[in-house]
Amino acid sequence: MKNLEAYKKHAGNEKIHSRILNELYQQIPDNVAVIDRNFNIVDANNNFEDHFGKWQNKKCYAVYKKLDEPCDNCPTKDVFNKGTPVICDAIGVDKIGKKTHYIAHSFPIKSKNGKEIEYAMELTRTVTETDRWQQEYHILFDRVPCFITVIGEDFRIVRANEAFRNNFGDMVGHHCFEVYKRRKTKCRNCPAEKTFKDGKVHHSQKTGIGKKGQNINYAVSTSALMRGNNSVAHVIEISKDITALKQLEHKVIESERLGAVGQTVAGLAHSIKNILMGLEGGKYIVSLGLAKDDKAMINQGWEMLERNFEKTTSLVKDFLSFSKGRLPELKMVNPGDLVNEIIDLYKDIAAQSGINLKSEIDDKIKSAPLDSAGIHTCLTNLVSNAIDACLMGEHKGNEVIIRVFEERGQLIFEVKDNGSGLDNEIKKKIFTTFFTTKGGGGTGLGLLTTRKIVQEHGGKIMVDSQKGKGSKFRIIFPRKRLMTLYKETKE
Amino acid sequence: MNGNTKKRILVVDDEADVRNFLKAALIEADFEVITAEDGNIALEEVKKQLPDLISLDLVMPKKSGAKFYHELTKKKEWSKIPIIIVTGHARDDLGKADLKELTMSGPGVYLEKPVKPNNYIAAIKGILKMEVTEEEKQSAETVNLQNDLKNIIDSADSDTLKKLKEILNKKN
Repeated sequence: MKNLEAYKKHAGNEKIHSRILNELYQQIPDNVAVIDRNFNIVDANNNFEDHFGKWQNKKCYAVYKKLDEPCDNCPTKDVFNKGTPVICDAIGVDKIGKKTHYIAHSFPIKSKNGKEIEYAMELTRTVTETDRWQQEYHILFDRVPCFITVIGEDFRIVRANEAFRNNFGDMVGHHCFEVYKRRKTKCRNCPAEKTFKDGKVHHSQKTGIGKKGQNINYAVSTSALMRGNNSVAHVIEISKDITALKQLEHKVIESERLGAVGQTVAGLAHSIKNILMGLEGGKYIVSLGLAKDDKAMINQGWEMLERNFEKTTSLVKDFLSFSKGRLPELKMVNPGDLVNEIIDLYKDIAAQSGINLKSEIDDKIKSAPLDSAGIHTCLTNLVSNAIDACLMGEHKGNEVIIRVFEERGQLIFEVKDNGSGLDNEIKKKIFTTFFTTKGGGGTGLGLLTTRKIVQEHGGKIMVDSQKGKGSKFRIIFPRKRLMTLYKETKE
Repeated sequence: MNGNTKKRILVVDDEADVRNFLKAALIEADFEVITAEDGNIALEEVKKQLPDLISLDLVMPKKSGAKFYHELTKKKEWSKIPIIIVTGHARDDLGKADLKELTMSGPGVYLEKPVKPNNYIAAIKGILKMEVTEEEKQSAETVNLQNDLKNIIDSADSDTLKKLKEILNKKN
């Protein structure tokens, strides 16, 4: 305190004070110049001269920018006109003719009576590489078309970029779960929490609520900002808005569903035509038999009628099961259990026909959201087709293998036989309208129903077959799509 | 009419009921009938003895109607055999392309399932330029007219269709 008192006393002495100011004027790490109303530089510090070169008897624009006339946006003029400080960003030319980027703070120096502005003092600081990087970083952080937030250990948002603020509001200081999801507690499977624990990058897909209450689907990645080497100080969350993508995905699934409906209607018409043809034929033959009093003929016609009535019944039955429920009822089930059920159901039938029916279940397979009844129908259709194909084939030692396994994020069911196989002609048609190679034995709805159920799960069905060698049918479900549907049906 | 002059018809269809129905109708109209359940068997039958006409289904397993027809066109004497198409797939994706190709390039007549015995016989007799009974004649005329109209309607623009509708409405 004593020292301060002493200094004040000392500084009160004007000579000391002006010495200090003069020292400041020279030592300040900025370039300082004093400019009059006519743009003449009347004084400048050594830094200024070191940077911009000789200034004596020169106009400011000649020194700062090596121009012959005043600049378009002259800050000095503004200072004189408005009497307030002005900050501007400019590019000039230094004493060796190199471009120099600087920020200028200009402020007025009033005359002794304090009424008019006598001079403008200009402090210019050259913008270094670091400054520029910093500026670019700010722009990048704010303008990048992703939501970026920095989150502290307490899950409060420390920083947020422009895209985030525009969509979720200016919520710095709030909990991330509160802002993203309007929750009061942490989300399940929080990727930021995982990053805080292991310091690694984690990804997740979530649905949040925007500031206007709109749903926002986003894919989020979290990465660590380390403190020293071991602990995570903050987590950066970078999220991409995938709402439009999600809507598109939804539309694709929907249009696949509608496509299946259209084909079904066309197929149904054809099936009915065939039945009508059979009924027409039966009726005709019965009436011929009656006219001729030919009992054998009456019997033949009557059998045709019976057979086609029977077909109508099974068509209606199959069609009802085909049209049942547009959305699959998804529940988490073990895919291996579904396969075992089918083995139990068919092992006797297969054994009686001398076919070896077996399963290969990947024991690491995880449970998946599936419509058990639907998948049961699919596998039943494929296995009964495989058994038929074996019976139609010419070689002995037939086998049917049902496999279930995981490959590149996809859950795959496979039914493989070494039966008669399909030629190209039939391969093209098996999934189209009501196609049957079993004459009167099938309604042609089996594979169509299978495909429909698979499509409703967001999956696809593929066939690989060679005439005489056997067929391999694969039902492929991308796990991500299953999860999307699962979430949708739960909401 | 004795047995030797009977016309031979080859009926190709994968459905047994359809084959039996058409066969019964043809025998009743005094034709001789052979049947085949797919294109391959049909080809064997053609090799054995040339039929006077082939009644052909389009969509069949193994060898489809269109494929069978292409086989026929390869041999000159086979390509002359008249063909009538009997199909349930005239208007759907499975048969439309095949039917268009066949009606453009070769056999012009097709019947859509379900067919009536009279129409079927009349159409066949028409192709073979045989004498038809009064009843068959009427049926055949109706069928031909219906077919012609269907073709016209299928390729007509909306103005023509409007005019056509007006004419038909006036009649009623």
